[in-house]
Amino acid sequence: MMEQVVLMKNKNNKKKFAYEPKFTERKDYRPEGVKETGLVFVGHEISEDRTVMNQFLHYDQLYTIRHGWNSKFFIGLLEGKIMGTRCPKCGDTWVPVRTHCWNLNCKLERTEWVEMPLTAKVHTWTVAGWSGRSSLKRLPIVLVYAIIGDSKVAIANELHGINPWDVEFGMPLKVVFKPKEQRVGAVTDFHFEPADGWKPSPMTEEKERIKKLVEPVYEWVKTLK
Amino acid sequence: MTRKVCVVGGATTPFDYGPTGFETIEGGAAECVKETQRDIPDFSLRDLDLMIYSHFSVHFGHQLAPEWIIHDHLGLVGLPHYRVENGGNTGGSALYAAALAVMSGHHDVVGIIGWETMDSVSQSQGSEFIAMASDTRYELMVGGIYPIYYAAMANKWMKDNKVTEEDVATIAVKNKNNAMDNPKAQWYRNEHRYITVDDVLNSKLISYPIKKYDCCLMSRGVAFVLVCCEEYAKKVNPDGYVTIDGMGLSSCTIRAGDRLNNPTWAERYGPGYPEMTEFGACRCSAEQAYKMAGIENPLKEIDFGEIHDAFSTSEAQIYKALGLANTDNIAQFIRDEQTHLHGSIPMNPGGGLIGYGHPVGATGLMSTIECFYQLSGLIPKKHLSRKTEVPDAMCGIVNSHAGTGTSISNFILRRH
Repeated sequence: MMEQVVLMKNKNNKKKFAYEPKFTERKDYRPEGVKETGLVFVGHEISEDRTVMNQFLHYDQLYTIRHGWNSKFFIGLLEGKIMGTRCPKCGDTWVPVRTHCWNLNCKLERTEWVEMPLTAKVHTWTVAGWSGRSSLKRLPIVLVYAIIGDSKVAIANELHGINPWDVEFGMPLKVVFKPKEQRVGAVTDFHFEPADGWKPSPMTEEKERIKKLVEPVYEWVKTLK
Repeated sequence: MTRKVCVVGGATTPFDYGPTGFETIEGGAAECVKETQRDIPDFSLRDLDLMIYSHFSVHFGHQLAPEWIIHDHLGLVGLPHYRVENGGNTGGSALYAAALAVMSGHHDVVGIIGWETMDSVSQSQGSEFIAMASDTRYELMVGGIYPIYYAAMANKWMKDNKVTEEDVATIAVKNKNNAMDNPKAQWYRNEHRYITVDDVLNSKLISYPIKKYDCCLMSRGVAFVLVCCEEYAKKVNPDGYVTIDGMGLSSCTIRAGDRLNNPTWAERYGPGYPEMTEFGACRCSAEQAYKMAGIENPLKEIDFGEIHDAFSTSEAQIYKALGLANTDNIAQFIRDEQTHLHGSIPMNPGGGLIGYGHPVGATGLMSTIECFYQLSGLIPKKHLSRKTEVPDAMCGIVNSHAGTGTSISNFILRRH
């Protein structure tokens, strides 16, 4: 479906190329006590011999990410749906979505929205024992690239409900959403879990190896404040 | 090629996480230029007619357009300048830009300065900064950091190619131990010890199958490379200049998961390539570079390389993407230590990102400089001994790499 490009005039009678969105639904998920402080010097240190000085500059900025034509995917997450896109010409389907077809013969054809099934399979996987600052407490993380429905591409997300050493290539998955009130319209609103009825295969040498690598991670995470 | 492009000199500051001795970016840049001037005394800053700056992320430097600080400090007011940014391939892309400038005939002497000051934040925060080059809408909050994306790709690649954890660990060992002969390398300056495969296997889990010692080092560092036309090279460094005989630059999807059925790659290399495991952009840019340099058998015709070993696993993947081995023999190729100093094509004798360090904007230039040193006979002067010198090296490859293989460049350098 093509969105209309509309020429409007604003109050100064200047041409505009899109509607100003009217936002009627708003939520603030910011944790209590967190506000934007902007850039601020918060301290410094000077070496004993006074030849080196370190200054501490703190950043805290709020960004607005406008999704525009991608919005249906993120709104879909709020509603517990995985929305994909499909090219009406060649039929290729994607999650993560593409708003125009990747096939050069389709000449950037605008894609149409399709609701995807909540089933997937593992394409490849890893078990993370270290990560970025905001993910440390969630370690060890099982990250999979999984193919949802008939998507041509794989999407990255966490796999829960499994021992890290039990993941398998090609294993069937289901998409599981957080409870509605906890969703924020981001990919973290859902994760994967093994499909109902799936059972891990017996321990192997590789599984033992991963177990050995992962065990210290559980202990280390407990020590994090 | 319309005009020959040469590399005549270059230097880096020490790479480190913490003090290098040249903490300010402009101080580090000045010291790199001064070292180059000591190597080639006839080079004057007055000779430059273009400066290209190679810098990845202003997040680390809390300074927009930081190149203006360096340019001004070097006394280059009036000289044209611009910055190149292309993720981990920033250094390679800056070299590509400089080579194009000389090749076109519009510029004769081009300086490139690259840097990153990644120790301005904690390692976990720094990893998140870099991960902002992944698709922040779909991947940043679930994977968190690049080692995890790389590990997922490597896990499948290793299964598909029958390459083991031990195999890739030998690459990490090689690079860290090579760095023990390079006093500017971060591994030399910090942990400073020779390691074994067991040390790698027993180091802590980063993301299976990648362990801590399989990873490159997050660094502070600055580098300078001097690129020019042949006439100028003959003037300032007639006995030591090298030529850039081939170069290639290519791209792949930002999200590795989007590579499974990409129609453009399918058209070029057949369905299912590069999947999520091969570096299509590396293969493609290497093919361009080989063609330009007239190389038909890279394994035979290239003597050594300085390649982008962000992880030991990705160095192994790059061997294959460069056409040095295929699915049938890649595991044996690694086990035979073909890329060790005693092998047929030593890789990263300077230590690579795993040993030397990875201050992103400086990294591709560091690789270029190490390659240049090998080809111009400067290794005994720059390293601690001749141990890491590739004997009679005539031809080297420089590889620079970004994202999860999202942008990759390759260069063929030859001794004149």
